[in-house]
Amino acid sequence: MTDQSPLERRYRRWLALYPQSFRGEHEEEMVAVLMQGADRDQTRPNAGEAADLAAHGLRRRAARRFPGDWERAHAKVMFPVRIAIALWLCFITAMLVGFGRGELWLILLIPAIAAHVYIAYRIRPSAAKR
Amino acid sequence: MSKKRTMQEASFLILTALAGASQHGYGIVTDVGQISGGRVRLKAGTLYAALDRLTADGLIEPDREEIVDNRLRRYYRITPEGAERLAEEADRLRANAHAALSRLRPGVVTT
Repeated sequence: MTDQSPLERRYRRWLALYPQSFRGEHEEEMVAVLMQGADRDQTRPNAGEAADLAAHGLRRRAARRFPGDWERAHAKVMFPVRIAIALWLCFITAMLVGFGRGELWLILLIPAIAAHVYIAYRIRPSAAKR
Repeated sequence: MSKKRTMQEASFLILTALAGASQHGYGIVTDVGQISGGRVRLKAGTLYAALDRLTADGLIEPDREEIVDNRLRRYYRITPEGAERLAEEADRLRANAHAALSRLRPGVVTT
């Protein structure tokens, strides 16, 4: 597998659109299928193949679970941690506003609070079975 | 919930291909081509999206692996649950086809 044909390298370039985990699982199989299905004198993926790989690869990327599997598996610990971080950021925000300085930081702080609250909501104890 | 969802044609054809024997990716592509009379030619992205989902749903599972000409061949086989789902889906399609044909040609369709 050290010397890949130009066609194989081009297929792999399209396969790079898939997330790492999916490639680890299926890349070699998919290269085998693509190479076996290619015409003898084919040197680059045809438009249909490329569009198919791009569409499925990008869809996979978009569908990645957020929050991630690790966080879901440790929801019992991470739920209070996320809440605590959100509260701490609220406290910092209140201090900044209270002392009338650094309002620009709110651009960072408010989305960060929202993100932590959102993650906490997604891994909330009553949603543990999802 | 997802069990009752209508099966996509690609999944139906892949399960049908695997119902006979376990096969590797390219074997499935050619077999699905034959089953569908040349109408369906699965592309790699579509094939592996379907295989990945069918595996996650427990309808198929990876079987053995071989290296042929430096290429990985992973074989997939249908699970008992997959066979059951395929049979259900085939029954459903037959019922639909029967209903359609019996209305188009009343009195001709008997089975």
